[in-house]
Amino acid sequence: MADNKPPEDALSDLRRRVNAARGEGASDAPPPQSPASLAMRYGGEFGAAVIVGALLGYGVDHFVHTTPWGLIVGMGLGFAAGVVNVVRVAQSYSRANPIDPNAPSVPDDEED
Amino acid sequence: MADNPIEQFGIHPIATNASLAMVGGAVLAAWFFNWAMKPAALVPNRAQVVAEGAYGFIHGMLKDAAGTEGVKKFLPFVFTLFLFIFMANMLGMFPGVFGVHHIFTPTSQIVVTAALALMVFFTVIIVGFAKNGMKFFKLFAPSGVPGYILPFVILIEVISFFSRPLSHAVRLWANILAGHILLKVFAGFVPALIAAGGFYGILSILPLAMTVALYGLEFLVAFLQAYVFAILTCIYLNDALHPGH
Repeated sequence: MADNKPPEDALSDLRRRVNAARGEGASDAPPPQSPASLAMRYGGEFGAAVIVGALLGYGVDHFVHTTPWGLIVGMGLGFAAGVVNVVRVAQSYSRANPIDPNAPSVPDDEED
Repeated sequence: MADNPIEQFGIHPIATNASLAMVGGAVLAAWFFNWAMKPAALVPNRAQVVAEGAYGFIHGMLKDAAGTEGVKKFLPFVFTLFLFIFMANMLGMFPGVFGVHHIFTPTSQIVVTAALALMVFFTVIIVGFAKNGMKFFKLFAPSGVPGYILPFVILIEVISFFSRPLSHAVRLWANILAGHILLKVFAGFVPALIAAGGFYGILSILPLAMTVALYGLEFLVAFLQAYVFAILTCIYLNDALHPGH
């Protein structure tokens, strides 16, 4: 009978049942992001890097008097940094949402 | 400024609708948690479940992103940020009460979101240097990069690092601003169509339905953007604790 069990057993049994019930119900997983917000995220990361790169380049121009080379180089580096940002976001997204292993493969996807 | 010693007794308006809404959001969050946790019951009532659930939600998020050390150091900071943004967003969802035209949404001003994002940015820099010293610069130099492209990589990483507060602030601001503009525009179609009369009056049901649907969506956005802001904060704070990817 349950009453004869030592209290630790009763508690661990309760814990096991609580955990089992939690596993079935809604988890604490983050809410799914809509494709639109994801697109905005990519765009924002890319645009922010370009703007910051251009501003840093402009600042270098201002102090070192190399107009317009700082702006040009800074903007180029900003584009590169934007790509890095987007790749990072995409990486974290695919880490959080792994591809379904049962998904059908596209025949032409492989390199011949 | 003040040559006249009597000027200090002058009466100036100190509150704007924006500052009032911000204070309101902060006070509401503080009051709710004090009120909900007052019983501190072993078997919680409904309000206490909400309060504990919010705490557990942020706790788990921070633990996933920044580990136990991050929880120990930054939980109050991240939880406060999340609650403040969430309350500010939610307050903005209420139309006018008590003769107020409408309740202001503080997060629709970029100066507010930029201040919050810069707070996170400077926390990362200060904690990063205090904890790691010069090793914090490893954040800009990923390991395994050949020497001849290292200068470029460092430059790109620096720009990427400085672009964080910008995208961090703009995301929250743009979402809230765009959502509220959209609501206002669609809601504005309703009286315009009714005023046109006749057949157009019947058509006004369409933008009304759209407004109702958008309102639901905006509630989701209000939560989601607070969540996104908090989780990005967690990710950035993790860099302060563990630089070098």
